[in-house]
Amino acid sequence: MINDLLTFLNKFVKVSIEEFAELIAWTEPRQFEKKTILTRPGDVEEYMYFITSGLIRKYFLKKDQEIITHLVKEGGIIGSGESFLTGQPSRYFVETLEPTTAFAISRQKLEEMYGSSKKWEKLGRIMTTQYFLVQEMRLMDNIRYSTRERFVKFMNENTDLLQRVPQKYLASYLNIKPETFSRLKHLMNPK
Amino acid sequence: MTNLIDINPSLIEYAHRYLQRFMSINIDELKMLLSYCEIRQVEKRTILVKEGEVDNYLNMVVKGLVMKYVRVKKNDMILQLATEGHVIHSEISFLTRTPSLVFVETLEPTVMLSLTYDKMEEALDKFPQGERLGRLILTGMYVKKEESRYFRLLRSARERFLDYINAHPHMLQRVPQKYLASYLNIKPETFSRMKHLVAKQ
Repeated sequence: MINDLLTFLNKFVKVSIEEFAELIAWTEPRQFEKKTILTRPGDVEEYMYFITSGLIRKYFLKKDQEIITHLVKEGGIIGSGESFLTGQPSRYFVETLEPTTAFAISRQKLEEMYGSSKKWEKLGRIMTTQYFLVQEMRLMDNIRYSTRERFVKFMNENTDLLQRVPQKYLASYLNIKPETFSRLKHLMNPK
Repeated sequence: MTNLIDINPSLIEYAHRYLQRFMSINIDELKMLLSYCEIRQVEKRTILVKEGEVDNYLNMVVKGLVMKYVRVKKNDMILQLATEGHVIHSEISFLTRTPSLVFVETLEPTVMLSLTYDKMEEALDKFPQGERLGRLILTGMYVKKEESRYFRLLRSARERFLDYINAHPHMLQRVPQKYLASYLNIKPETFSRMKHLVAKQ
């Protein structure tokens, strides 16, 4: 659980056990029931979460329709990033879909951490780059691949989500009509 | 450094204005940062990066117009149109040192202030608060992308058209309509029909 975070960080920058302990001290463990709304439109996002177990979705409302932009499970980072980074009110809801545990870091602590050493400033730069890249790659995937290709790619990489997430949410996340989503299910690798 | 400034006086102003959005930079610091950069001057219709090449430059347009597009089944989709003061390059390729998925091409004769990947690494390391500046620039890029994605999902074609043309009226003269239509994700026929919305204002 705590090792997941270390493994995650080591993908980007070498972190020793001592440094990792120091980093953990800036975070707080948080725990939520399922269907807990962590952030609403108009709130300023105070936290970014590294999920150790559970599942969180981020969405906004287009008239009455929920548009899901993120589904993040254990091992991923989520929060209303734009609001967290700018201090401006969130346009999004952030909500747990399952009971969820996470290491959370507040805006204030993160600023303090960055200010405390160049090493953390560098980690911050690399993580921000990573966050940007993930978003940019997804945008490129949406442009370059057909509905069918996006469905197959995502569902093969996240087979567990079909059991964990209501289909209409998966369809919204993939920007596919619910009817089309149902029809595409036969494309999944039989397990 | 004085040479760079002599070439184009707006250069220092654009660079300063851009960096000031992220942190306060005095003139000596600005000169130091500019010393990592180079000036590039190219004709119109110059392809700066092709799909499959690693993009080695981050560019700020000092004069001219540059577009970024992706070729999907022989169809070019415009992703960005950058004019004076804006930064443009193949971000994923530059940051990850992998082959570009996109093309970057000038539409007008263009002067750019460019930074190579190696020089960026050097600046991050040597410039006081370089890591902080790097993080804040990346944060800015992230937030901008996130906003444009949000508005693309939220707004109708008509709203996207009006918002863009009102904010950038000069682009109708500078950019072929089919490119603007592609950038706004509006069919060319629809784009033509929408032009009457501008004339009325």
